Amino acid sequence: MFTLPQKDFSAPTTCLGPTCMQDLGSSHGDDLEGECSRKLDQKLPELPGVGDPAMLSSDTSYLSSRGRMIKWFWDSAEEGYRTYHMDEYDENKNPSGIINLGVSENKLCFDLLSWRLSQSDIQRVEPSLLQYADWRGHLFLREEVAKFLSFYCKSPAPLRPENVVVLNGGASLFSALATVLCEAGEAFLIPTPYYGAITQHVCLYGNVRLAYVYLDSEVTGLDTRPFQLTVEKLETALREAHSEGVKVKGLILINPQNPLGDIYSPEELQEYLVFAKRHKLHVIVDEVYMLSVFEESVGYRSVLSLERLPDPQRTHVMWATSKDFGMSGLRFGTLYTENQDVATAVASLCRYHGLSGLVQYQMAQLLRDRDWINQVYLPENHARLKAAHTYVSEELRALGIPFLSRGAGFFIWVDLRKYLPKGTFEEEMLLWRRFLDNKVLLSFGKAFECKEPGWFRFVFSDQAHRLCLGMQRVRQVLAGKSQVAEDPPPSQSQEPSDQRR
Amino acid sequence: MSHWSDTLPVPSGQRRDQVPRDHSIYPQLLEITLHLRQAMREHFVQLMSRQGLSLEERRHTQAICEKEALLSCLICRMINLLQSEAASDLELQVPLPSEDSRGDVKYGQRDQLSGQPDPVPQLSDCEAAFVSRDLSNRGIDISVFYQSSFQDYNAYQKDKYHKDKNTLGFINLGTSENKLCMDLMTERLQERDMNCIEDALLQYPDWRGQPFLREEVARFLTYYCRAPTRLDPENVVVLNGCCSVFSALAMVLCDPGEAFLVPAPFYGGFAFSSRLYAKVELIPVYLESEVTVTNTQPFQLTVGKLEEALLEARLEGKKVRGLVLINPQNPVGDIYSPDSLMKYLEFAKRYNLHVIIDEIYMLSVFDESITFHSVLSMKSLPDRNRTHVIWGTSKDFGISGFRFGALYTHNKEVVSAVSAFGYLHSISGIVQHKLCQLLHNTEWIDKVYLPTNCYRLREAHKYITAKLKALEIPFHNSSSGLYVWINLKKYLDPCTFEEERLLYCRFLDNKLLLSRGKAYMCKEPGWFCLIFADELPRLKLAMHRFCDVLQEQKEALIVKQLEDAMRE
Repeated sequence: MFTLPQKDFSAPTTCLGPTCMQDLGSSHGDDLEGECSRKLDQKLPELPGVGDPAMLSSDTSYLSSRGRMIKWFWDSAEEGYRTYHMDEYDENKNPSGIINLGVSENKLCFDLLSWRLSQSDIQRVEPSLLQYADWRGHLFLREEVAKFLSFYCKSPAPLRPENVVVLNGGASLFSALATVLCEAGEAFLIPTPYYGAITQHVCLYGNVRLAYVYLDSEVTGLDTRPFQLTVEKLETALREAHSEGVKVKGLILINPQNPLGDIYSPEELQEYLVFAKRHKLHVIVDEVYMLSVFEESVGYRSVLSLERLPDPQRTHVMWATSKDFGMSGLRFGTLYTENQDVATAVASLCRYHGLSGLVQYQMAQLLRDRDWINQVYLPENHARLKAAHTYVSEELRALGIPFLSRGAGFFIWVDLRKYLPKGTFEEEMLLWRRFLDNKVLLSFGKAFECKEPGWFRFVFSDQAHRLCLGMQRVRQVLAGKSQVAEDPPPSQSQEPSDQRR
Repeated sequence: MSHWSDTLPVPSGQRRDQVPRDHSIYPQLLEITLHLRQAMREHFVQLMSRQGLSLEERRHTQAICEKEALLSCLICRMINLLQSEAASDLELQVPLPSEDSRGDVKYGQRDQLSGQPDPVPQLSDCEAAFVSRDLSNRGIDISVFYQSSFQDYNAYQKDKYHKDKNTLGFINLGTSENKLCMDLMTERLQERDMNCIEDALLQYPDWRGQPFLREEVARFLTYYCRAPTRLDPENVVVLNGCCSVFSALAMVLCDPGEAFLVPAPFYGGFAFSSRLYAKVELIPVYLESEVTVTNTQPFQLTVGKLEEALLEARLEGKKVRGLVLINPQNPVGDIYSPDSLMKYLEFAKRYNLHVIIDEIYMLSVFDESITFHSVLSMKSLPDRNRTHVIWGTSKDFGISGFRFGALYTHNKEVVSAVSAFGYLHSISGIVQHKLCQLLHNTEWIDKVYLPTNCYRLREAHKYITAKLKALEIPFHNSSSGLYVWINLKKYLDPCTFEEERLLYCRFLDNKLLLSRGKAYMCKEPGWFCLIFADELPRLKLAMHRFCDVLQEQKEALIVKQLEDAMRE
């Protein structure tokens, strides 16, 4: 059940052995998406391509054994990144290039953002912004973040700037939290499918693992919807981890969920938090999509809006501008925690995760412009997300393809199981490759550690012309592919035996 | 945020009843340890809350603080350990007084600094990190290490000198920052070419750094390092600061517990970067100030010393993976000649050691008669696959708040492995654009920035060294960097690190922040580093305070010597 073996880095072969290096193609941008975890579980026919042989034999390498492991993370991601970047779609220059519906980026609002970021109030340069500052982030920014989160998370009382730590993105925050909350080799629980890049974030520096809470698409027992997280499942996963001798230190929740596009109700959230408290687990709540809920009716609530947190000292909230403001390249993320020990410890690592003073100033100006955010940006962003979502979901319906999506995030979780005759991850990979060959990039379920083969994540937050072309290419692939007859194969039984290691 | 807390303190008596006694000794041990901690805290609070202390006593208090920090840390670890054992043994939650009381009381506690007796003892800022049972042991270690090293810097941040608003605030001659060219940089960064918002800058970048920036860095280094052939952008990785580059290199070149050799004294930030995340040891190659037959210059690095240090480390069973060189050297300010550099590189090659060369001050050589030779200017490197160069804009362009550092290495494996950290040490696309523009404008750099910067550095250096000469204080460095390395041994009696610390505290008491030799792992007590790259009015005031302190110290020494003489 673990992404990486519980052994130390010194024995990388044990976990890297069954790896398929040619298949590392799919990873992009943020959606390195636990490529890593996927690959760890697969068969290794031979070792062509970049850097892999060296890492298996220490003699020929210049790197330390953990260095070889780290390099492997990069190479596996890098190869896919290259595939896409070498043949990126461009309306004029490369119309037959690859359309990217795989990376979770919001490309719908660049016009609004570039206008806002070009305004004169944002472009300030002064000496204090060019010099060393408080590593937690400039106070002016932390104050704005506290106000911003108080308002948009609807916190019952104003949030405090001293509980805010600012870093260069959510990835850094995962890394720092993993390091200060866990010893090497300890683990966080995480419900799957999940945003797979977290595996790498907590592992690179922290050497922390993830223990999966597997969710099913099938609605059984007390479940009311597919892939539902319940306390019972959390308990089971925790017990399993214990029985395997793994020490679990916390629980990671992503809300709104990625890739399901689902949200946790306040009641559910409360139950998970109580569960965590019962077991003295930290809870990291990643709310990076909190303002990208484009269906008002789903009633999203931030964990910071709860009247009472069961265990405030162990509840740590993350937010960033990558998704909600469509600026993944800006590198701004923030932690909110009442626990001063945790805030201080994370801040101690901030000299390695600092962001430029100029950008801190820009962010403060952006976040304080409530009028623009409320009256211009959010309504427009939501309208565009909704339109794009409607388009893709109607396309899928027309194709008779089932999918999940409740109106949050940039993606639809699509069930292509009926296109896999045997229902295996190999077929999932083949299908993904077929999409790529037809110049459309998607993310497949295994990258999210989904337990059932055949699920894909479609990112819809892109301009209409690209989206249309992308969907057209999807249709072509699916039409060319003969569907399996009536009964889809049982999806669970065929998993490679080593998968639940 | 008291509204969040619903944790109620559980009376300890009640708790004791819940614990089945026959289960294990851990809960009892835990409880004893908690009591011990409580008692210790009270003791220390009492020690430190005495009012109206004299200077001597206050210095003594400093020492107490350090001891307390150490004890707290140890006890914390014990508690963490015991707690995990106790919890796993009993399979039930043992509510601990420390946890339950904290959430509610803390802020109130912090706000009222009156020191009145209270059920929960006050937490000083520094201590806050130590009491945690929420952190992992390494988390505690990181926090403690950071706090203890940056305590005084944080004090400075909170009480900075300002010529109108805070004339009694701290002046910082301890942090290596160039504040001399803020006018030029501010102006340059406000020019129109700097502001660019493009889609590509707001999207996920190439994690090694945007291609346009890596190309510019390669071009820039080719030109300023006088590389014999054009440097390759594919060998460049761009991260948010040189400490990030160093940290990433330490991760990928060493396994935990392995080591680098570093000639000491050396820039203390490395100690941080190797320890916080990477857990790599830095083994000092001690250099001496005294000139002898073998040591023809003060603090001279020789291959003999490197070999000796390597041998010693190996005898102790340590695995040395590399050598770290800073050129121009920080804090001594030496510039390695191409010959000696070649010898060090050959030494490294002989023992299969990586060499990390930090050239972060390469453009801050202000003595025109001296030529700096970058390692990248060499025709052939002895072991190019094990030679890794670091450079950044923090010092040479005085923009430490920009967060930019670059790695140049021929080793593709190292490039790939370090690139994996691009995620965690990324730079904003907007800033990458600005950096690219900055580095691209060679004309401005050559004709405006560098001449002005060097001139101002030279003037500031001249001012400082004249003062030092007048005080008859020996110093090193007359050519490069932002600092002078000064010898205050004669103000220490006895000449120990404890006395060095006390003198440092005396400076601090007079609102002057310096760095002391210990922080640079200097072997001999009495050395200090003085950063002179500051504007003249501040520098003057700083030197005024500096002289006052030394005068004070001198008088104290005389009194002490007289007393000693009397006693005899």
